Amino acid sequence: MAEPESAALHRRRFLKGMVVAGGATIAGPPNVQAQLAEKRTGNALPPDAAAKANERERPPEVERLTTEKTGSDFMVDVCKSLDLDYVAACPGSTFRALQESFINYGQNKRPEWLTCLHEEVSVGMAHGYAKVAGKPMAAIVHGTVGTQHAAMAIYNAYCDRVPVMIFTGNAGALNERRPGVEWFHSVQDAAATVRDFVKWDDYPMSLQHFAESTVRGYALACAQPPGPAFIVADTKLQEDPLDEGGQGRLRIPRLVRPSQTAGEANAVREAARMLVSAEAPVIIADRYARSQAAMDDLVRLAELLQAPVIDNRSRMNMPNTHYLCQSERSGSLLAQADCILSLEPVDLFGQLNAMRDQLERTEILRTKKGVKVISISTRDLLVHSNYQDFQRYVGADLSITADAQTTLPFLIEAVQRQATSGGRNSIAIRGEKLRDAYNSFTERARAEAALAWDASPISTARLYMELWELIRNEDWALVSDGDFSSRWPHRLWPLEKHYRFIGGPGGYGVGYQPVAALGAALAHRDAGGRLVVSVTGDGEFNMAPHTLWTAAHHGIPYLTIIQNNRAYHQEVMHVQRMANRHNRGVRNAHIGTTIDNPNIDYVKIAQGYGAVGIGPVSDPNDLSQAFREGIAAVKAGQPALIDVVTQPR
Amino acid sequence: MMLALAALALTAGPASAQQASPAGNVANGERLYVQVGCYQCHGLAGQGALMTGPRISRTTSSYQGFLARLRHPVNQMPPYEAAVLSDQDAADLYAYLQQMPPPRDPNSIPLLKLAR
Repeated sequence: MAEPESAALHRRRFLKGMVVAGGATIAGPPNVQAQLAEKRTGNALPPDAAAKANERERPPEVERLTTEKTGSDFMVDVCKSLDLDYVAACPGSTFRALQESFINYGQNKRPEWLTCLHEEVSVGMAHGYAKVAGKPMAAIVHGTVGTQHAAMAIYNAYCDRVPVMIFTGNAGALNERRPGVEWFHSVQDAAATVRDFVKWDDYPMSLQHFAESTVRGYALACAQPPGPAFIVADTKLQEDPLDEGGQGRLRIPRLVRPSQTAGEANAVREAARMLVSAEAPVIIADRYARSQAAMDDLVRLAELLQAPVIDNRSRMNMPNTHYLCQSERSGSLLAQADCILSLEPVDLFGQLNAMRDQLERTEILRTKKGVKVISISTRDLLVHSNYQDFQRYVGADLSITADAQTTLPFLIEAVQRQATSGGRNSIAIRGEKLRDAYNSFTERARAEAALAWDASPISTARLYMELWELIRNEDWALVSDGDFSSRWPHRLWPLEKHYRFIGGPGGYGVGYQPVAALGAALAHRDAGGRLVVSVTGDGEFNMAPHTLWTAAHHGIPYLTIIQNNRAYHQEVMHVQRMANRHNRGVRNAHIGTTIDNPNIDYVKIAQGYGAVGIGPVSDPNDLSQAFREGIAAVKAGQPALIDVVTQPR
Repeated sequence: MMLALAALALTAGPASAQQASPAGNVANGERLYVQVGCYQCHGLAGQGALMTGPRISRTTSSYQGFLARLRHPVNQMPPYEAAVLSDQDAADLYAYLQQMPPPRDPNSIPLLKLAR
């Protein structure tokens, strides 16, 4: 019996035959090919497998066509060694072996394969999932074209500093590529498209390399500041057989979760001294809290100092039911502050300064001169050059490069040590004034909510309060951002737990909302079946309506409410601004910005994707019934959509 | 991406009935309110929105103050110069804003009692 040929050699010869055949097919002009095809159909049977093998000088008893174990199986072993519950993907041939290994060899469990209809959804849902679950899930994207589809979602996750594990496939060696399409989907440097906005990437050259890079990528993705990691799974590594000897030499490194960085002790003491000695300290929390414990720490610090907190809502940082949560007074608080503590700022310059968006741009300082600024942040640990998400530079008086969440317990301890009894009295007086201010702005929010209460199209305040009546006794979670609806959820609903609110979108790439909501709903489902609500603009939703199919297919229940102002409303205002600036009037500002004529039937879209669709609702008095029906469907395990025709904001 | 059109601070100034304001055509003001896009930032009921523009229904600003802010906004609002909105149009808008229905008392709305 002849010695079996090595798998690699076998594959090379096989592909050599394919290249010759493919080249011959491509060579002729189309009309000639068509004639030849007809002639062949009439005269010859297609060769059987044995004949084909003989033509390639590979007799069937020698040619190896199957294998029991492949590199992709080992890749699944690597992924199973990590804390990955899901892998989301829109299928693509560059990871066909990996997909097959996940669903068969890996038994489609931890991670479970989730089918998405666009790579932006695969990554975007991982983004939303991580913000709720507190850990990454994986997305696999097709080589080149899939990565291009995924790019905006990766950018959003990067800007939002959220960990996501992203894999792609690539046929690196040219002699391993099938002629034609596979060349379009192969690339010299697969991560180049997204390198500017991932935390780390690698193209492993061996299975051992894959194991180490994947574990390293996971650890780096999770280390503060977190971000997406991008790993290339070469198709040859995926598809080549893996014999026992080869497998025995492979080792999967143990995942080590490093402790996060806390602020240097002297700097923390100095920060405490500055805060305790301040007469009007203000705390700004941005991308700060990753857990309930972090929220509790912020409350503790604010109470110790009796300092108001401006929660910028990038995360759920401060319970808005606490009188020291005074985000709505940010303007007056910053104007009066003599010491500002900024925790994980996204845009500190923009917080401390305003810019007029007029023909001549002017900057206005929002703080008084001499204010001391303390920053505790990991932002300097992840800065790339090309994309400008790092914002304007601000030289804080005390800049502590550290994870603010990890640092806060030490800062609290330092503040406790430095507070004097005399100081405590003045701090207590400050607190009383802040209680009064808190009561006044909650009353103001109610008064403003009443202004267009009976209007049609429906006011966004009415939308949120009709919804609140029905969810307030549930264990609910809001997985959308309220900035485009006048921040009503933060002004009218009590947000007292970390999981109640998902935080902001990161890079403001339109389409984040429906895909992040899908991933967040998945994490909330696994956390015990919270009632999940997403209020999303119509422009946002149209970027990825098929998220509803993935939700229906995988049993991910949540309520999507379309805040349907029938426009890319932000852009309406931008074009209107330009028209006025150019003294041409706004009569044409709707061109290219509105989404009407015809109005989109979101109910049919939802139903077409297998979700429950309700609406459109234009009369505010019909909202309650529509919400009841939608919530009932969600509680029965279905995704549901309600189309609500609303005021612009 | 966010626009902070915290602009037409029309409710800030005290009412000044003594200041002359030209007679305005309410019906034309209502038409203009939509046509020139006021509602995009201030809402169809003039209720305002947090990040786009303040309440302007039943403005208590004087006409002169209204006109000045319209022509040369001090903040983020786009300017409406005479080339796109005449003084008479401005007067019509002013008249429309002033006669908008009064807001409801929040205490009369049961749902708002559920707010935090």
